[in-house]
Amino acid sequence: MKKILLRAVRFSMQKPKTVIAFYVLISVIFLLAFPHVRVDTDPENMLSENEPVRLAHEEAKHDFSLFDSIIVGVVDESAPDGVFSAETLQRHAAVTERILQIEGVIAEDVMSLTTTDDIDSEGGMLNIEPLMKKAGVLTDAEALQVRDAALENPVLKDLLVSEDGKAITIAVPIKEKKISYKISKEIEKIIEEEVVNVGGSEEYHIAGLPVAEDTFGVEMFKQMGISAPVAGFIIFLLMLYFFRNLRLVGAAMAVAMMTVAWSMGLLIWSGFTVHIMSSMIPIFLMPIAVVDSIHFLSEFHDRYDPEESKNTIINSVMGELLTPMFYTSVTSAVGFLSLMLTPIPPVKVFGAFVAFGIIIAWFLTITLLPAIIILLPKKSFSGFGRGVSLAINPLQERIGLFASRWSRAIIVVAFISLGISIYGITLTKVNDNPVKWFEKNHPVRVADKVLNKHFGGTYMSYLIVESTESGAIKDPLMVGYIEELQRKLNSIDVVGKTTSIADVIKKIGFELRNEDKAFFKIPDNKKTIAQYLFLYEFSGDPEDLYHLVTPDFKKANIWVQLKSGDNADMRQVEVAMEEYIEKNPPPLGASLHWAGLTYINVVWQDKMVYGMLSSLMGGAFVIFIIMTLLFRSFAWGFISMLPLTFTITFIYGLVGFVGKDYDMPIAVLSALTLGISVDFAIHFGQRMRQIRAKGGEWNESIKEVFGEPVRAIFKNMVVITVSFLPLLFSTLLPYRTVGVFFALIMAISGAATLLLLTAVMNLLRGPLKL
Amino acid sequence: MKKIFKLIFVVFIFTFFIFTTKSAEAAGLTAGEIVDKANLAYYYGGSDGRAEMKMTITDSRGRERIREMVMLRKDLTDGGEQKFYVFFKNPPDVNGMVFMVLKRPGGTDDRWLYIPAVDLVKRVASKDKRSSFAGSHFTYEDVSGRDTSADTHELLGLEKLGVRDVYLIKNTPKNPDLVEFSFFKVWIDKENFLPLKGEYFDKKGNLQKTVTVDEVEVIDGIASVLKGKVAEVGRGSTVVEFKNIRYNLGFKDKIFTERSLRKPPRKWLK
Repeated sequence: MKKILLRAVRFSMQKPKTVIAFYVLISVIFLLAFPHVRVDTDPENMLSENEPVRLAHEEAKHDFSLFDSIIVGVVDESAPDGVFSAETLQRHAAVTERILQIEGVIAEDVMSLTTTDDIDSEGGMLNIEPLMKKAGVLTDAEALQVRDAALENPVLKDLLVSEDGKAITIAVPIKEKKISYKISKEIEKIIEEEVVNVGGSEEYHIAGLPVAEDTFGVEMFKQMGISAPVAGFIIFLLMLYFFRNLRLVGAAMAVAMMTVAWSMGLLIWSGFTVHIMSSMIPIFLMPIAVVDSIHFLSEFHDRYDPEESKNTIINSVMGELLTPMFYTSVTSAVGFLSLMLTPIPPVKVFGAFVAFGIIIAWFLTITLLPAIIILLPKKSFSGFGRGVSLAINPLQERIGLFASRWSRAIIVVAFISLGISIYGITLTKVNDNPVKWFEKNHPVRVADKVLNKHFGGTYMSYLIVESTESGAIKDPLMVGYIEELQRKLNSIDVVGKTTSIADVIKKIGFELRNEDKAFFKIPDNKKTIAQYLFLYEFSGDPEDLYHLVTPDFKKANIWVQLKSGDNADMRQVEVAMEEYIEKNPPPLGASLHWAGLTYINVVWQDKMVYGMLSSLMGGAFVIFIIMTLLFRSFAWGFISMLPLTFTITFIYGLVGFVGKDYDMPIAVLSALTLGISVDFAIHFGQRMRQIRAKGGEWNESIKEVFGEPVRAIFKNMVVITVSFLPLLFSTLLPYRTVGVFFALIMAISGAATLLLLTAVMNLLRGPLKL
Repeated sequence: MKKIFKLIFVVFIFTFFIFTTKSAEAAGLTAGEIVDKANLAYYYGGSDGRAEMKMTITDSRGRERIREMVMLRKDLTDGGEQKFYVFFKNPPDVNGMVFMVLKRPGGTDDRWLYIPAVDLVKRVASKDKRSSFAGSHFTYEDVSGRDTSADTHELLGLEKLGVRDVYLIKNTPKNPDLVEFSFFKVWIDKENFLPLKGEYFDKKGNLQKTVTVDEVEVIDGIASVLKGKVAEVGRGSTVVEFKNIRYNLGFKDKIFTERSLRKPPRKWLK
């Protein structure tokens, strides 16, 4: 194997121009893919398209004509009657009217004061019509009447008008989720013109899961467009600082750029969309791609001698590094490939293409880098090489000697902190919430806070009651059961409001009997229920009913509004209801299931958590095998797993302790830890063995290992940590999380490698044959 | 097929003998006069009439619902006030529900609904004439007629609609805030003045809904619609079929009272 690789290296040195031309050509082919990029920012695609919960969601959308909705909220905290003044409502009517005209808005299903029917009986006359006429000129007294009528309707209360009478909403259903950002921008413009420019004191907010998700997608690409180039630039500066040679550093950068171009190009050519996950591929690949180059350049730097031919130097550097570089690349790739064990398509794609990139980076390092170096004129190496900086950092040495001296103590401390970390892991809160991906003062986050303070909640999920019998939903037993389900749901504190056909039936009965409270109940026979609902069709918009029940009355839909988009809250509701339904099964052989975006997020989150666990286990196992093969020893295989085990446990323990939600970005970090921590162990262990093979004092060997090899490890730690720093300035919190934890992972795995491995090797010199 | 030939033949003979003189007069009609004649031809045939109506409502998802009813009508003056009594037969659980209207063109209608399951008569508000009739795609105005003075009319020209010669008229509402459309076009048969097709355009100017008359037969000397359809873009359609149409039955006024909501005139409902 090594021989074949060495032949490849030599070939690149013999025909450098051919090799470079070939790589440039391939890069051009992959770059041509870039204009064909297709973007996908829909978190629903975290699940594959034929996932049962997605099919159920699609079916519910179809059965009940449901669409993903943007929520436009209007709040006026300053006025005594909130938004209920003639002027504010008239502006509101104007805004609504213009929203109805926006392309992509399902105008007939928009819910607002001027479009949604109220059921009312005035002077014995049944009236089903919107609370507010589009052109109706209002007085302030009439505005208050609108409020009171809305609060008297169990369907509209807390949906269109807040219970405190301060706020109102418009629910704007849209054709596709992916146009929600665009539509929200158009709505912003309308608000600017109709409200802000005329000096209205009311505040408009735009909220809803689709907006959060789509806005994230839009900002994500902006962020990646900035972060990835900035990271590239920082890596360039850092390497320039390390090696002080523009051309050599340029060559290493060429490896990184080509790696990114090839991986992303292949991804696009293969027809994959660029998703939230895959948008992070460049920023993951760039630092990992230069890791091998750094080892190579460090070694090359230390061995460079102007008297010797470059060919000979490169040959000897490769002779030393080829094996560890191969193994570190394979193990990093395995770390990311392990993500393919998760059942989440975008995570699989991410894992596969990062792994591909790692292998490409490795191959480019051993072929392209030598080809470029051979072509560089001698004068470009003036002032380079060991004559210049041979000074061994005394601090590095001291770390090594310290670890040898206090080996037992280090192991004890490691075990104690491992124990504490495991306890921390048991505290982990699994949760994600697309709204919390934004900073606290981001409009999406503010809208979410304000609206959920006033209303029953902007996070909709649907509990579907399904019977095989047509007309079953008109049965008093069934309507009564639905009412009970709602009562139970409303008793769960995270549930803000529920709405069902039972509410409509009760409201009709109440209005038919001239608002006699005694009739605000479910009739005791099917005929009455059927006739009540038929009556609604006579006056109201019949489509309104069919968001709550199917026309054949086989299925009913209970709208459940949650006050937050936290998956943990949805999970809590699901669990509580499961228990309730177990004890109180539905009548008439009906069955129940959940749908809605909020619920879908819970399902993919579950898959992610358990998927990540299996991917972590699978990846760790494969790496263990590789390590055992590399070192041809179980003992070595075992100890090289120590730093990564320690790091992963520590990181997730910390996540548990600080109360940070275990979400998608956190989950993906395990793959990175797996891949990178073991790299350090490989380089460290391999060099330790080479140096110990020469024999001599342990402390002398330690000094040697903590010279150039540890310096290379340090450089890698710094490059990876620093290149993820641009993420800290992102406005999107998941990226910041990744940035912070990257730095932590590097520090912890570095420390674990240098201290823990040294200590263990020192104590186990015998079994390890050191 | 035979039926259609028969229909065309009947219409042809009918047209030839009765309307030859009328259509000659019509040559000089204004758009407003044409619309008024169409209103009479469509909604005021005879002094009263009955028909059995079957509505097949198909929603945007292709799901069908069927409503069957008997409709009795009595005109107080031609082109003026009318009374309607609509008795529902199907679906079975709404059998016996009655909807009654006193129509006042230019004014506010009175509407009553009888709910047999709770033996309750309820007056229903009628401010909104553009809302759905019995859950179908027809509006109240489609069923009982739109006040012709609510729109301005413009004769766009004479056209052929299939084999029929028609007037094409554009109607623009005087108060656009009261309706969901910006204007509608109607194709009126030049000979019998039945409106054969209507197209409604939304505020953006896109076609929103199409109403068509698909089958006509002359009954008791009156050109009567046997089948019609309204289709809304993206929102499904309703097909309405009439049978056992009869005119000039001499309905008494007491049929159209609150009392008869509870005690339906069985004789006319069979």
